[in-house]
Amino acid sequence: MKLIVAIIKPFKLEEVTDALRALDVSGVTLTEVRGYGRQRGHTEVYRGAEYEVDYVPKVKLDVIVDDADAQKVANAIVEAARTGKIGDGKLWIVPIETVVRIRTGEAGSDAL
Amino acid sequence: MTTFQKLVAMTVITFIALVVVSQYNHHADPTGTKTGVAADQTVIPGGQAKVPLSQVGLNQLANETGHLAVSINFVWLLITGFLVLFMQVGFAFLVTGLTRAKNAGHMMMMNLSSFVIALLAYYAVGFAFQFGGIAPIANLGGASPLNGIFAHGTSGLIGIRGFFLQSGNTYDVGVIAFFLFQVVFMETAGYIIIGAIAERVSFAGFLIAEIAMGAIIYPIYGNWMWGGGFLSQLGKGPLHLGNGAVDFAGSGVVHATGGWAALALAMILGPRIGKYREDGTPNAFPGHNLGYAVIGTLVLTFGWMGFNPGSTFGATDLRISIVAVNTLLAASAGAVTAMAWTNAKWGKPDISMTCNGMLAGLVAITAPCAFVSPAWAVVIGIIAGFVVVYAVEFLDKRAKIDDPCGAIAVHGFCGLWGLLAVGLFADGTYPDKAVGWNGVLQPVKGVIPALLDGDKLSGAHHALGQLVAQIIDGGVGFGWAFGVTWVLFMVVRRFVKIRVAPEVEIAGTDEGEFGQVCYPDFVLRTETQTFRIPEKMPIGTATGPPPAQQAVTSERT
Repeated sequence: MKLIVAIIKPFKLEEVTDALRALDVSGVTLTEVRGYGRQRGHTEVYRGAEYEVDYVPKVKLDVIVDDADAQKVANAIVEAARTGKIGDGKLWIVPIETVVRIRTGEAGSDAL
Repeated sequence: MTTFQKLVAMTVITFIALVVVSQYNHHADPTGTKTGVAADQTVIPGGQAKVPLSQVGLNQLANETGHLAVSINFVWLLITGFLVLFMQVGFAFLVTGLTRAKNAGHMMMMNLSSFVIALLAYYAVGFAFQFGGIAPIANLGGASPLNGIFAHGTSGLIGIRGFFLQSGNTYDVGVIAFFLFQVVFMETAGYIIIGAIAERVSFAGFLIAEIAMGAIIYPIYGNWMWGGGFLSQLGKGPLHLGNGAVDFAGSGVVHATGGWAALALAMILGPRIGKYREDGTPNAFPGHNLGYAVIGTLVLTFGWMGFNPGSTFGATDLRISIVAVNTLLAASAGAVTAMAWTNAKWGKPDISMTCNGMLAGLVAITAPCAFVSPAWAVVIGIIAGFVVVYAVEFLDKRAKIDDPCGAIAVHGFCGLWGLLAVGLFADGTYPDKAVGWNGVLQPVKGVIPALLDGDKLSGAHHALGQLVAQIIDGGVGFGWAFGVTWVLFMVVRRFVKIRVAPEVEIAGTDEGEFGQVCYPDFVLRTETQTFRIPEKMPIGTATGPPPAQQAVTSERT
């Protein structure tokens, strides 16, 4: 099984959710995060004084899928989250050992 | 029938009954024109004549009419005083909204404690210093036990009756009604300083500032302007400067005093940690709740409907309608100007600066509100909107004085502008010549209306003298409020920690000063900026970690 971690622009969340639903992905965990990449934050003006927002708000998604589906789901997220402008975010895939459904004790693919 | 049908039927029957009954109802006095006539004073309810129609009766009638007029004025004075009291709520919202969440409890506690402690200081000595020797106020019944002033020749310096509202027969309804109205004005000057010293002043240092404000700084300058002191007498001395220094509701006495005292304190305390980068450019710490700031501004505007119109001390002076409308016009003009001008300068209209612009208009119209026409009120508000934007930039970028809420810009600079505006725009329609102002039997008139009216030599001299008196007043007010606060706190900081420890400042003054936070059930965002404590903090800064952290470590060891 694979863990797909995607950090995306918050306003792209709805489109990504639609894309994941279309692929029948069974579960997603969302976290509100802040960070910076090559874009290095941005500057805002308050009462005439500029200040740096070093860490820009983003949304982080954790999705666990079967090995066979990983590439397909990752592609769908990338397609849905892309605006083509700086700050679109990152996505990475991590192998994971097992998954357990806490209610029943099922493990592995059955627990997805 | 179902319950619903019963309900409908009863409603219909009741409605029909009301319509029918109303046809036979003899209207008593729905317009109110017949209520309150001579019989109310001559006949005891029940039909017995109270007063015979003789000279004695007429005298009694006149007495009762006089009593009524004064009663109306009492109600007006008290109600407007309550409105001014409500401004405290507005200010608490405004300054708390414009600062960071980690200091919100500290901000609110300062607003609360400034109120109670300065009130007691003013009760004890401040009121006597300010109004211990004033001319009787006709609107409040005339006779006044407040008849003691310490003077040099004809120039009054300080009042000496009314300590603890007891000394010199001042246990009197008129005096105490007047006290209520004046103490809430002093509170205004008192809480202004919070905006400029926020997020770094220690609670102890703040309380000392409030006692000084209530007992000394505000009342003594207030005596010079409103208590019969020398600034108000400038029109009568050898110089004949207009009507003497004129400040209707306190652009100078209240707002500039608070603003300049705040300036001295902000300079002594130094900027907040991280406010200025190494290259000297200002950093911004956005306020944690702009909603609070807007609510606060609107509450303050509402309260100002007591602040300015109430300063007639009576509802029998019908100028109150003009005063109220002028106040609203200047407030709106100031807000619109700040909104448009920040949009032009910085690309977007700035919410907190629009609030400051509204308050700038209010502060500036406070001195001239009774003496100008509505059109001039708009002009005064527009100029105040520019003054506040430039003053904020000047303090932030040039002078490098950290004023988190814009208190110095709004109250100091725009208060001064309001004083000058009297000398420029007062149009000579108020007060009536027979009444006069500051003992000079002339209406208050400024330079520009005098020019437009083509006033002859004596009129032009009167108007120019007015402007000179206003300039003197502005200078003396600055010298007093800034000077006394500066000297006092240069001394106090040697003995009292007037600034919190850097660690407390970074962790938040809520936790460090009170051990309680304003938002315990909310997860506060981690700060986006990191702070390095400067090697040299201003004199009077406390040291050491926040008390709460000390407690935790001691438990563990």
